[in-house]
Amino acid sequence: MPATVAERQVRISCVAGRYLVFDIDDVLYIRRHHGICAVLTGTMPQNPTQNLFLGLPVELHAEEAKLLVDRKAAYIADELSDHLSQLTTMDETTRGAYLQHVKQQRRNAKLAFDEEKAKVQAMHQGKRKAASKANKTAASLEGASAAPEGESPSLFDPPTTTGVVAGPATTTTTTTPSKEALPAITPTTSSALLSGATPVLDGPIPASSYSLYKYLNSRGYYTTPGLRFGGDYSVYPGDPFRYHAHYLANSYGWDEQIGMLDVVTSGRLGTAVKKSFLFGAESPSKPDPDGGEGGEMRVFCVEWAGM
Amino acid sequence: MATHDHITALANVVLNNVQYQHDWTQVQTHSQPNLPRPLIYGLPPKRLYVHPDEQVDIIRAEKERGEPIAQEPELEWVLPLHLSESWTPGQFAAVFDAIDAIPPGGAADQDLPGFDDSASQWKLWRGPKRGKRILLATVQDDSTVTYYWIHDGLVKPRQN
Repeated sequence: MPATVAERQVRISCVAGRYLVFDIDDVLYIRRHHGICAVLTGTMPQNPTQNLFLGLPVELHAEEAKLLVDRKAAYIADELSDHLSQLTTMDETTRGAYLQHVKQQRRNAKLAFDEEKAKVQAMHQGKRKAASKANKTAASLEGASAAPEGESPSLFDPPTTTGVVAGPATTTTTTTPSKEALPAITPTTSSALLSGATPVLDGPIPASSYSLYKYLNSRGYYTTPGLRFGGDYSVYPGDPFRYHAHYLANSYGWDEQIGMLDVVTSGRLGTAVKKSFLFGAESPSKPDPDGGEGGEMRVFCVEWAGM
Repeated sequence: MATHDHITALANVVLNNVQYQHDWTQVQTHSQPNLPRPLIYGLPPKRLYVHPDEQVDIIRAEKERGEPIAQEPELEWVLPLHLSESWTPGQFAAVFDAIDAIPPGGAADQDLPGFDDSASQWKLWRGPKRGKRILLATVQDDSTVTYYWIHDGLVKPRQN
């Protein structure tokens, strides 16, 4: 497992200048191992949901994509040209393999559906049994209590038997009913389709706040977009599922003028939401003490003094 | 030297404000060749800042001793600024590089005994564990002075 984690290459799809990750395993991986949450952006265009319920794909900031590329944990694929070239050059065998792959996914989906269905059925039957059991007299209770235990495995039998049957059914019986039996699926990734070498784009040109982002990420902080608090990032001391943000962070140039009103307003806002206003800049003169290529990061935290 | 006059006047406004409105004592200006402008330091009437981790140490010590620990005020740095000013991160870094965490005559000079036992860990925050912090005293033309802490480095927010 650790070896596969170390070797994992996340495919970041560059679509219209946006950096997207479509594979749920990649999303989990970058969250667990690189402290990158990014933002879920997917929805159905004809039935948009609230932001809270958005799904795949996940959109990365340019600085998040660059961090992953710099760590050699990801590559950036030019999705448009890659799909076009691979679809036009596809031969019969790769086509066949892809169709087979889709069929297998449909079978897996059917299995999952059947299991779910059987579970629900079992639950309902169990309820009905319990109800009828309650109606029975106390004298017959002892015999009845043994019966459900004996029967309960059989309640879970249907999914396993159908699972076994599902295989031969597609091959032995007539093809038309088996085709209808398999559910249609929409794959979330085209990983099986794109088997050839992917043209890799250069790392993105990140925002000027990249050095601050890298500094925070290397110290185990998670970031989310900071606009809701008027900054570049909201900074969490761990996964945002577990922690509240500690800082609202803004990045500046070493010689960039910061108006005192900005410091006061951001400091005030931060204190009002139990956070600290963090601003940072990269020193051009001193080298990075962590051994990075840039200069030393200096960060300052501002909070209301209470006087 | 118009700028020099302005900075002196600014320092006087802040000095008077902390002394007479906020009842600070031992208030002094502090000049140093590598400081872009004079700082002020003084002793507030009550403790102005407790680091969240220090608070944990204090609570632990109070539990072990079974009695509350009185929190004496500490000497604090003040940087006088005008609202119309703009500072760069480089300038803030220069100020932090020029000063010690504890103003002259502060607690580090006194000998704090016994840091070894867990009940005395909180005392470290008044000495070696104290981070560099400065009160930004921002003056507006209507004589309003607002005070904000600025810490050097990543310092987590207080649980207020």
